[in-house]
Amino acid sequence: MRKIKTTIATLTMVLALSACTDLSEKLYDKVSSSDYGKTATEIETIVGSAYASLRGFSDGITISYPTSEFLFFCNETTSDEACIPTRGSDWYDGGRYQDAEMHTWKSDNMLMLSSWRYCYEGISKVNAVIYQVKQSTLSDEEKATVYAELRGIRAYYYYILLDMFGNVPLITNFEDTSLPKNSTRAEVYAFVESELLDILDLLPSEIIYGRFTQNVANTLLARLYLNSEVYIGKARWQDCIDACDKVSGYTLESNYFTNFLTENEVSSEIIFAIPYDYTKQGTVGNYLIALSLHYKQKQAVSASSTFTDCVNGICAQPGVYSMFDDKDVRKKEFFAGDQISKATGSVILMDNGNALSYTEDIANFFNAEQNEGVRCVKYEVKEGQTWEQDHDLVVMRYAEILMMKAECYIRLGSPALARPLVAQVRTRAGLDTPADVTLDFLDDELLREFCFEGLRRTANIRMGTFLKPNWVKTSTDDDYRLIFPIPKYAMDMNSNLVQNPGY
Amino acid sequence: MKKNKYIPIFIIQAVMLFVGLIFLNVNSYAQKTASIKVSGVVVDQSENPLPGATIIVHGTTTGVVTDVDGKFQISCAKGSTLDISFVGYKNSSVVANEENVKVILQESFVTLGETVVVGVGYGTMRKSDLTGAIASVGTEEMKKGVISSSEQLLQGKVAGLTVIQGSGDPASGASLRLRGGTSLTASNGPLIVVDGIAGVDINTVNPSEIVSMDVLKDASASAIYGSRGANGVIIVTTNRSNKGKVMQYQGYVAVGSVLKNLDMLSANQWRQYVREKEVTSAVDYGGNTDWQKELEQTAVSHSHSVLFSNSGEKNGFRVSANYLYNEGVIKRTSLDRLGASISGFQYGLKDKLKMEVGLNANVDTWHPLNDLIYERMLNLSPVIPVYNPDGSFTKIGGTKYDNPVEINTNRTADNTRHRVLGYGKIELEIIKGLKAYANGSYEYNSLQTRLYNPSYSVMGASDKGFGQRTLADYTTMQLETYLTYDKKFNEDNKINLMAGYSYLDNTYEGYGAQRKGFDTDLFEYNNLAAGIDYSASDVYSYKGEAKLISFYGRANYNFKEKYMFTATLRRDGSSRFGANHKWGLFPSASFAWRVSDESFMEGTRGWLNNLKLRAGYGVTGNQDGVGEYKSLDILGTGSATYYDGNTQTWKQSYGPTQNSNPDLKWESTAQLNVGLDFSVVGRVNGTLEVYQKKTSDLLYTYAVPQPPYLVGTMLANVGDLSNKGIELSLNANLINKGGFNWDVNLTLAKNIQKVEKLSNQTYECDSINSGSLHGLTGMSGKFSQVIKTGYAVGTFVGPKCTGLDSLGKFILADNGANQVLGDVQPKLSFGFGTNLSYKNIDLEISTYGMLGQKVLNCTAMELSNPKRLPTNNTTDLIYKTGITSSMTYSSYWVEDASFLRIQSVSLGYTLKAPKIGLEKVRFYVTGENLFVFTNYTGVDPEVSIDGLDTPGMDWFNAYPRPRTFSFGINVSF
Repeated sequence: MRKIKTTIATLTMVLALSACTDLSEKLYDKVSSSDYGKTATEIETIVGSAYASLRGFSDGITISYPTSEFLFFCNETTSDEACIPTRGSDWYDGGRYQDAEMHTWKSDNMLMLSSWRYCYEGISKVNAVIYQVKQSTLSDEEKATVYAELRGIRAYYYYILLDMFGNVPLITNFEDTSLPKNSTRAEVYAFVESELLDILDLLPSEIIYGRFTQNVANTLLARLYLNSEVYIGKARWQDCIDACDKVSGYTLESNYFTNFLTENEVSSEIIFAIPYDYTKQGTVGNYLIALSLHYKQKQAVSASSTFTDCVNGICAQPGVYSMFDDKDVRKKEFFAGDQISKATGSVILMDNGNALSYTEDIANFFNAEQNEGVRCVKYEVKEGQTWEQDHDLVVMRYAEILMMKAECYIRLGSPALARPLVAQVRTRAGLDTPADVTLDFLDDELLREFCFEGLRRTANIRMGTFLKPNWVKTSTDDDYRLIFPIPKYAMDMNSNLVQNPGY
Repeated sequence: MKKNKYIPIFIIQAVMLFVGLIFLNVNSYAQKTASIKVSGVVVDQSENPLPGATIIVHGTTTGVVTDVDGKFQISCAKGSTLDISFVGYKNSSVVANEENVKVILQESFVTLGETVVVGVGYGTMRKSDLTGAIASVGTEEMKKGVISSSEQLLQGKVAGLTVIQGSGDPASGASLRLRGGTSLTASNGPLIVVDGIAGVDINTVNPSEIVSMDVLKDASASAIYGSRGANGVIIVTTNRSNKGKVMQYQGYVAVGSVLKNLDMLSANQWRQYVREKEVTSAVDYGGNTDWQKELEQTAVSHSHSVLFSNSGEKNGFRVSANYLYNEGVIKRTSLDRLGASISGFQYGLKDKLKMEVGLNANVDTWHPLNDLIYERMLNLSPVIPVYNPDGSFTKIGGTKYDNPVEINTNRTADNTRHRVLGYGKIELEIIKGLKAYANGSYEYNSLQTRLYNPSYSVMGASDKGFGQRTLADYTTMQLETYLTYDKKFNEDNKINLMAGYSYLDNTYEGYGAQRKGFDTDLFEYNNLAAGIDYSASDVYSYKGEAKLISFYGRANYNFKEKYMFTATLRRDGSSRFGANHKWGLFPSASFAWRVSDESFMEGTRGWLNNLKLRAGYGVTGNQDGVGEYKSLDILGTGSATYYDGNTQTWKQSYGPTQNSNPDLKWESTAQLNVGLDFSVVGRVNGTLEVYQKKTSDLLYTYAVPQPPYLVGTMLANVGDLSNKGIELSLNANLINKGGFNWDVNLTLAKNIQKVEKLSNQTYECDSINSGSLHGLTGMSGKFSQVIKTGYAVGTFVGPKCTGLDSLGKFILADNGANQVLGDVQPKLSFGFGTNLSYKNIDLEISTYGMLGQKVLNCTAMELSNPKRLPTNNTTDLIYKTGITSSMTYSSYWVEDASFLRIQSVSLGYTLKAPKIGLEKVRFYVTGENLFVFTNYTGVDPEVSIDGLDTPGMDWFNAYPRPRTFSFGINVSF
């Protein structure tokens, strides 16, 4: 009997140990979303994450950076401005850059997918932040002000989608977990316009660097109206001029390259920029310089070779460099001809023993020599730079306002009103302006002023040159190439999505 | 102080349990009869005394061990039975009626191995009673030679267990994989249990202290470890129970050198090429450099360990200390390990209570390499000298073109790892047959890294000196309490029951700091504040915690030693699981039938000594893939700072970093195993196992539509993966006559792996790209493998190359269309060993190998490209094959990597000289990694198949494996 009691008592005690069954996770270095966003400062840090999203991301699936890989590449290498030649097996990468140049891309192209994911990652983040702010204790008025900036950032992402993919799903509610359907390009257009108009008065009216202000909203509206004919088949030139006129407080920098200094936040011309600071803040994704220059360029920059490794990729398409007059100060943005070693004073030799001398011509796009193609690097290049750069990415600057207005005046039949605007830009470049400013002239000037700033594909489409033969692409494309295909990757995961016509 | 709020409760409960048990049990044992003092001797059939035989008074824990002359003395109640046992001999018993007895033990070769006690988790069982698939490796079978990581002891010894030492770096461990992998995301390594403590870092234990490793292979055996058992369990038993007084020294000195280098063009071959091809522009720097050899050295290693122990039946202690200096074959690499362990036990409360405490600690110090040197040493032209005439390093410069000797030299990198394992165990016999156990343990593992790249080094130049220090601490606290009950009902029915509870808390935390811009290089990493350049992410810290709570039980029933049943059940709850699946249930059942004991088998007794059929089924889990906090909706900082234009300052932002997944849970593996143990003609033992296992709820980071999902990927349980296979182990004693003994052992294993599905209603995934080629020229974002329904993990997909055309270009079939090119899984793994001894001399040879696995030779693919010349070097394949094409991924580079490795040959001599106080001295010489027979063209066919990034891919960053010769001595005083 005693033994039975003993046994029972022991078993009971062993079971008593089972009191410890609490399995909740204790957070130490992270915070639960339901515990955060209570104070105005905390809200500010959450809104900050929406701004941080503008720098993009790389997650093993895509490299979604706005500076280079692949959003920038997508808009540049499909245009008449830039190309990424295949050099041996280098930069072949499954033919993605050849497809961009030849306009033979398919829905599985990495350039387009990366751009798509850049936008939707940002949109998801903004929607989540809006939801988070909604849960906070801020007053409705305070919330509306916070929402305004967030909606502005979201409208910026949707504008990119409208421009590149056209018929994309519109999602504005974080809590909606259903699989979205495409909206038409017109619906996306209407959404971007109404959002921007709706928030305009709630946005900061002053100039705040790097923030979504009224000036930024108006510049984005101007872009929307300028391309309205392409987007919805309805020209809105005067609306563009009106939006441009609402942008105030900026001047052209006397030195063109002030816009592209490492410390380019000093520029009085920049309307919207995505700030970077690798050295102090560790921001990443800003490495176009290294992707463009030759492997041995570091010897030309620094006697002790203290400069980033470079990987010899994107360069100007043949014909671009010679469009610049020798007097044009903007021509300094190109690396062309012999590259001289800082240490020896003589020409740098490439691995094959030939001189590193960038040529404008590229004899064979499909198997180019290492030194073919001049390099367009407008941002500051100096000794000690690493792969990641500190300069901010210029998204909108005042010269664009002048040029947009000029284009609209020409389109409206008043080239005389356009000329002084173009002249401002030309004068700064050290050039005269012809008496007659035609649309063709303006198209070339857009290339010269905004070369390698990511605007060229949109301009080509607006000017009607995008589908036409262009260098190695000798045929004319079908109209459907004016927008990119919905990426296969996204379609595979969402059966509600419908592919763009033609793809 | 909230952190440890459960610990005091545990202690209180443990004490309550303990006190309660004593109190309730205080009088249950009292009987007295006349006692007798028995003196005796134990001998074998040839009258040779048997030292070390155990004599136990039947039904008690009282016992003694025979001395060197086989003699013993014991006091017991007159008329009680003495049980005499000795490994390798049949048990015997005598009744204690006379004062002098002589016991003759019969040799029992047949049951050798059957009498072995095997760890099964929360207890041990006789091997003969096992119902599950468990393989045991004892000291004798373990790998000899230089061992810096205990996993190596098992190499080639257990059928179905793959041990891949992916690198020759003395600081790197081996990876273990049992019966194919069960996970895409999580670790595929088995759970390691050291002396009853689960999840211990095996390197906490000095390899020389390990006496046995029991590998729980099937689910019916490993299900007792529930959500951590899916990849099998290895139960490690260390040398705690040495009987008598022991004093030992073990030591060796070893010399290692690189077994094989890659055949790159020599400077002369380079010059010849340049002449022949008339590459007039090629720059000849006048050097004659073999960059691989410049980085290598002959490595001299040594190891010493000492042990004292003094243990009887009632109490004992053990102290050991060891030191290992393991030098690497790449310059400036080595591992120093200083370790010690102490443990002691004592019985009390009339021998009903046993308490044991112990402490293991060791410190590792090593110098991590900069991995860039591997690529650089193959990139650099052989005509570049290492040094300029003035003695400084040459710096030709260029992308991926830095002097690797400079990188390896101008650098200070010192890492240390401290490991501490402390434990206390209480064992109490409550009533006869019923025992209670409480084991508490504390494991601490702390890694410190220190790095300085001086301002004059290529790596530190642009930073003007770079210093960094980091600390990462892992602490595991565990409490296990369980009860066991053994009972025999008449002679035929034996039951054994076990039930318990365990609590595990795992905490990790760390911090790091780094700075740049040092005006002087004098401080190295010791004065980080001297660096004046810093960025926001230069300082960080983190912390996390996970809990695992379990209830478990096991029942064994043995009828007439012929029919044996085992059933286990475990319920595991983990804090890491999603809210909807906090608890998982892991059952198993197994059965064994000793066919040879049946009466109808009478006729076979002459040759069939044992035949046992086993069958088992169980469900186990793998929770490694679910990291902490992965199921939650959380905000993190990451590196997402943002610029606030209002204040013109950068600020920290907080944003959502993952999709929450309340359904997140363990991966579940159901396994059916049928086994056959046999021994025939008194000389051959064997085991045959056939298994089928299916893993479901496979974890993978799935791409999800975004929006509605917040982040584009999500960790979810979706797919199914199956492994089935067959394993055979054979041990045979070929000769045992006149002092000459010859044993051979063989293991064979075949496993077939297949991905069954990757989708369900919510997540759809057709195939997963793996085997990334990113980093090779022109291959950014490209993959060489696919994970696809119907194929094994790591299946190569690419164009098929049918050869080279007359111009040396690759001929690709079907215009280069992708085809399946084989997979990285071995078709057959084997191990073969033999042990010869004649009197005092013994010779052991151990080999292992794999057949049929494919390896993508990325190294040759990248390097065998004549377009790399004259600047970069190439392999001499361009001469041997005449390749002229630039790099192309195709079947050309997917090679059969079958191999046979002569792992070790060891010749030993044992001297017994008790007269001068030396009980036993053993000298040995061992050659390790002597030869590899293979058609694989790369440096080493044995390539890690872990993970999804580069499984089965021979990539540049491979530390060459050395060939080592060692001379050792083991002395017992």
